[in-house]
Amino acid sequence: MAQESSNDLIVKTPPHITGEMSKNRLMTYTFFSILILTVVTAAIWSTEHTPNGWNLGLTVAINAIISVGIAVGLDALLHKVAADSPLNLMSAAVFGLIVADIYVLGVSSMASATVFTSVELFPLEAPQCFAYVAAMSVVGLIVFKKLVGLSGRKWVNPAAASKLVVMIPFINTLLVTIGHLNSGPLKVPSMAGGLSLTVPVKGNGAAGFGYYMIACFANANHAAPKVTNLNLLGIMLLDKFHGWPGGASALAVIIVGIAFLVVARKYVKWRITASYLVTVAIMSLILSSAYGDTDYLVRFLFLMFIGSSIFLAFFMATDPATTPFTGIGQIIFGVGVALLTVLMITYLQFFGASFVALVIMNLTVPLLDRIGIHKPFGR
Amino acid sequence: MSYNKIKEHKDKARKVPIEIFPDPKKAIVLTYQHTGAPNTPIVSVGDTVAIGQKIADSKERVSAPVHSPISGKVAKIGDIYNSCYEECSEAIYIENDGKKTKDKTLQPFAESEINSTPNDALLKRIREAGIIGLGGAGFPTHVKLSLPPDKPIKYLVVNATEGEPYDSADERLLVEKTTNILRGVRVIRKILGNPQVVVATKTNKVEAIAKLNDVFGKEPDTKIVAKPFAYQQGDASVLQKALFHWEVPPTKRSYEMGVIVQNVATVNAVANAIFEGEPLISRVTTLNGDVAEPKNLLVKVGTPISNILSQYNVDTKDIREVVIGGVMMGHTIPTIEAPVTKRTSSIIVFSKSKYKPTKKETACIHCAYCISACPVRLHPILIYNALIKGDMAKAEKLYAKDCIACGTCSYVCPAGLPLSGTICASRH
Repeated sequence: MAQESSNDLIVKTPPHITGEMSKNRLMTYTFFSILILTVVTAAIWSTEHTPNGWNLGLTVAINAIISVGIAVGLDALLHKVAADSPLNLMSAAVFGLIVADIYVLGVSSMASATVFTSVELFPLEAPQCFAYVAAMSVVGLIVFKKLVGLSGRKWVNPAAASKLVVMIPFINTLLVTIGHLNSGPLKVPSMAGGLSLTVPVKGNGAAGFGYYMIACFANANHAAPKVTNLNLLGIMLLDKFHGWPGGASALAVIIVGIAFLVVARKYVKWRITASYLVTVAIMSLILSSAYGDTDYLVRFLFLMFIGSSIFLAFFMATDPATTPFTGIGQIIFGVGVALLTVLMITYLQFFGASFVALVIMNLTVPLLDRIGIHKPFGR
Repeated sequence: MSYNKIKEHKDKARKVPIEIFPDPKKAIVLTYQHTGAPNTPIVSVGDTVAIGQKIADSKERVSAPVHSPISGKVAKIGDIYNSCYEECSEAIYIENDGKKTKDKTLQPFAESEINSTPNDALLKRIREAGIIGLGGAGFPTHVKLSLPPDKPIKYLVVNATEGEPYDSADERLLVEKTTNILRGVRVIRKILGNPQVVVATKTNKVEAIAKLNDVFGKEPDTKIVAKPFAYQQGDASVLQKALFHWEVPPTKRSYEMGVIVQNVATVNAVANAIFEGEPLISRVTTLNGDVAEPKNLLVKVGTPISNILSQYNVDTKDIREVVIGGVMMGHTIPTIEAPVTKRTSSIIVFSKSKYKPTKKETACIHCAYCISACPVRLHPILIYNALIKGDMAKAEKLYAKDCIACGTCSYVCPAGLPLSGTICASRH
């Protein structure tokens, strides 16, 4: 819109000053927010080693370096070989970091050799995980950021979609509730039943869900803490040793997430985070009530604070490019992601389902953009 | 709603007293400076003109004449860049003879005779003095004040919010011409049937508020409303929302809501026309931006902007942009030879040497901030997308015509998209 006049004066449309927030700056804020979480997790996990001897904190760091490196490198390469491909290094870096932070790692008892293959879809530890993270980074950057972006908009969250694509070979395990969680030494109870801290779930023949959560998320290299509400709250909120690295410390995610919302306020779609969290809390209450949970806190802590839930709420569901424009659309979007997530966790026993829910809701955005077009001033 | 805050950049300028700028050796008076029907010259090349002599006019109702700002000889009638319309248009070039001969057609009214003077006479004077809205719209004031008898006016709002960053001309008027503004208010109030008066200004115009309270304090049915108005609330309809909590439908005029909003500089010009017999041949304008010292100048209409820049040692080779009428809503000019018009509320200079590139235009990131920042609740990005695709019907359905051109959407856009400029361009 700007052009030079004969006097070399710039002639352009108003306004002639601009706000300080740019796409690059917003991406930089996002990158450093997620980087803080990655560093926190790497620090918390750095004291622990997986069964084959890899330092868990180091694994997180290497995953992040591989993923970010590939994303940034590919972005630069594509820009060089294809003139149409814009150079978005910070955006690529954010994408790469998210890919690393949603790749499930852990040292929990679930990582024991006997249940390893039957419970987890992807390798839980290094060095195998490096290959999967690299694959996700390549697929996400090329297919979902660049190729899909050629259509004029990004239809799905690239990190979530790339994880889903790389998961396709495991889709049978994923979608068929074969009771894999109910087999093996853990006998993970289904969430589609009454939950309690200690009382075994009828029919599962295993311990209560509280036992499961402690076994899954507490540091398996140390003596298991007693199954109490307080211990469970501490583990779920402060330091989980299994799951999405980005959400290992739910408290860190909440603090950094809120700080990010404040710093980049008005540019971040906070309504999605708020509606997601509120819906998860309400669904937890409804399910607890419907199934007669004896300890309402158990279901609530699980649904709200597992890494895939809390990290997604603050740093993935709010991805501007793949979410609705309108305020009402954003609220419906957040509610939809939460509902699908809770339903898949509860009835498919797919505990990391939030990213699939996100991809499904991403596809509804063109429809949601038609909802909530408000009347202008005075109309 | 909460409005996006825009940095004011006027800490220095607001403290600088109004300075009388010397008369130009050559004045270039554009014949068409108002909103409405264009004027035609009523003088010819070679004619001698006096200060305040009418030199161009129209027979149409919605028009306002222009007058000679200096005494001298008409040297030329030709086209020059008109910042009111962003294109070249007709101008009368007058060479200053230095004699300062004054035209005496407009005789001053005494304050004591205002109440007994028919409204028609006052409106005629306002028209003959060429008074137009000096807030930027340029609508002839006599037309704005000539209301149908079945539309009583309840409020006269004096808009002294001056939200445009860098601009401080109105603020200085409030400080230095407070009594004259009160005289202007009384005239307008008389014409409108004695409505209540609301003077709206921003809380940070501390000196102005003190003067207003002092001078307007005992005026009946008059209220000074000082609030932390946002830039966007300088718009007449958005200001009414803040003052009266109603929304003026875009299909209606303010007077249909019982309100007349007048910019404070217009009120001052009305007072000059009535009590001094002075047509609108000069105005206060702010010189700011990348200049050594900001100025508030009482400058003659028709003064080439280059005169002002050279007077204050602005390095013209280093100029990148010259913005006329406010950095948010005003226009850049392609040549500094363009003259000051009645609507030149400010001259903001941006230099090449101090230019810092901020953001490149990139694809929309869908942050939707333009939607929540729009003071009239439009969906700028959706309108922009429709316009880019040439879908005018969709743009219209999204009420593109309701845009108040405040520029907020473009200002906040992290992708640097020209949202406001594209929407405004579509309306022409």
